[in-house]
Amino acid sequence: MAKNEVPDWLNNSLWSCRTPQQPLTPSIESEDTNRSSVNLPVPMPPPAVIRAEPRPEIVSPLNSSSNLHSDDENGSATISSTEDISRQDQLSQELSRKIIDMVEVRRLASQGVPDGAGIRATVWKLLLGYLPTERALWPTELAKKRSQYKQFKEELLMNPSEIARRLEKSATLENDGTGTDIEGKGVLSRSEVTQGEHPLSLGKSSIWNQFFQDTEIIEQIDRDVKRTHPDLHFFSGDTPFAKSNQDALRIILIIFAKLNPGIRYVQGMNEILAPLFYVFRNDPNEEDAANAEADTFFCFVELLSEFRDHFCQQLDNSVVGIRSTITRLSQLLKEHDEELWRHLEVTTNVNPQFYAFRWITLLLTQEFNFADSHFIWDTLLSDPEGPQETLLRICCAMLIIVRRRLLAGDFTSNLKLLQNYPSTNISHLLYVANKLRVKSAG
Amino acid sequence: MVLVLALGDLHIPHRAADLPEKFKSMLVPGKIQHVICTGNLCIKEVHDYLKTLCPDLHITRGEYDEEARYPETKTLMIGQFKLGLCHGHQIIPWGDLDSLAMLQRQLDVDILVTGHTHQFTAYKHEAGVVINPGSATGAYSSITYDVNPSFVLMDIDALRVVVYVYELIDGEVKVDKIDFKKTTQNAN
Repeated sequence: MAKNEVPDWLNNSLWSCRTPQQPLTPSIESEDTNRSSVNLPVPMPPPAVIRAEPRPEIVSPLNSSSNLHSDDENGSATISSTEDISRQDQLSQELSRKIIDMVEVRRLASQGVPDGAGIRATVWKLLLGYLPTERALWPTELAKKRSQYKQFKEELLMNPSEIARRLEKSATLENDGTGTDIEGKGVLSRSEVTQGEHPLSLGKSSIWNQFFQDTEIIEQIDRDVKRTHPDLHFFSGDTPFAKSNQDALRIILIIFAKLNPGIRYVQGMNEILAPLFYVFRNDPNEEDAANAEADTFFCFVELLSEFRDHFCQQLDNSVVGIRSTITRLSQLLKEHDEELWRHLEVTTNVNPQFYAFRWITLLLTQEFNFADSHFIWDTLLSDPEGPQETLLRICCAMLIIVRRRLLAGDFTSNLKLLQNYPSTNISHLLYVANKLRVKSAG
Repeated sequence: MVLVLALGDLHIPHRAADLPEKFKSMLVPGKIQHVICTGNLCIKEVHDYLKTLCPDLHITRGEYDEEARYPETKTLMIGQFKLGLCHGHQIIPWGDLDSLAMLQRQLDVDILVTGHTHQFTAYKHEAGVVINPGSATGAYSSITYDVNPSFVLMDIDALRVVVYVYELIDGEVKVDKIDFKKTTQNAN
């Protein structure tokens, strides 16, 4: 879209949420300006510290159709520009080294991983620590992890009859198949059942009882998996492809729930899993794509380990729980934009829990369309400060970007806005988020 | 892994008031896929109770049942097994293996479940297996007063059946199990 169409009131200091005179360009690396809000026309610059260059946004077709809300920006869908290609090349080059320099990869990835070369899957695996930095070790590591996952599947997905059968088989090897065939005549021999291992057992240690308890969780997982991203053909629909993807999601979540009895399954984990699986499954490398399920499982565990306290209900009110994280977001907003903070929390009484809960627990997957959330996750995963800090900064940036509308709105309209966050230029969002870091550092 | 509950001869309210407490606490809905009942419930309330355990309920008529419309015999297919159901007061001598085997060949089933004797038994012969789940309430029978409450839970898994026998002896629930496999292509 042409850059001239942006109204000029967009083009002023409100974006930078502090005094407009500050020249921000010098303090930021040159690459960052590439992600700046593109369409600000050159002639109107006053605070426009943001260079107006036709920004090479690596925007997916979905984002380019972002509608022109009153204060949204257009995503310019220039698919390949020189900066993009160069970043893609740089990344590919980095990834092909013998020993990968993680600092460099993080730096490049934090600006967004270009879609072109299909390297996102590998980058994410590196960022989550699934692949070691030494390239030569990759085949052995992958093989080891994948076989471990296969073992998990075999052990944990057995139903109790099979488990009982296996136990018996190992116990009585001399009997031919531990079962009498139906031949001959006479009373069938009875054997005593040990330790209450019968299907109606109510004992806590009984495998049957555990099985029936797990069944409830499995039903919940099943329901959620069926509802994941109903608009994407990858996940929903009747094709065998979609079904196999749903099955993979389901199995990953079931195994996670069984391996983590403390946290089990909580609604929402499916949303965090979906982008991971999608990216890995669409890896152009066929072997990796075929093993996407195993890889996704381990990366999911890794990603969730940072955020698992948010899912534990008992920890809600503790220092690590979701409430305290939301409070931190609130503090961050207060630090950077006191006026907005005051208006939101004091004047209009919009409790951050109403909107930030979903933002934070689901890592912003529900606020933006699917492709955009991949970009956000690029930054989230690659930031050296850690995903949680980055997430808070991005949430804060989300609030600041729509501050005009928030300041003008009352409780209802603000809540409505924040719960249905308007689509924005992702690069601009990430740019503002990045600036928040620079500010608090200085 | 299909769980099938087999019980019968409750004789509620005439000879017993209710199932034993320990049995009732174990029988919760959601675990069992089929219930087969040999008969002599005797009243509709018991039918409703069994229906809450599992919607798939099969009953045959016992001589004291107040509901006249249960069939005399029933056959059903669960997994790879054909099950036959009959109360057993029709087969004389009561509880005789050979006569029951005749009924089994007549119905052409792998597992025949009958009652009436109020004693748990499990026999096998060439044509298949005969199981008597006994009386779930421990009601006295036409033959004897000395009856322990018992019922049977079958775990049918492809070609293998594990039969769990639950008996209430001296106030304690004892569970035994019996294992058997069906040879494939058993075209008896």
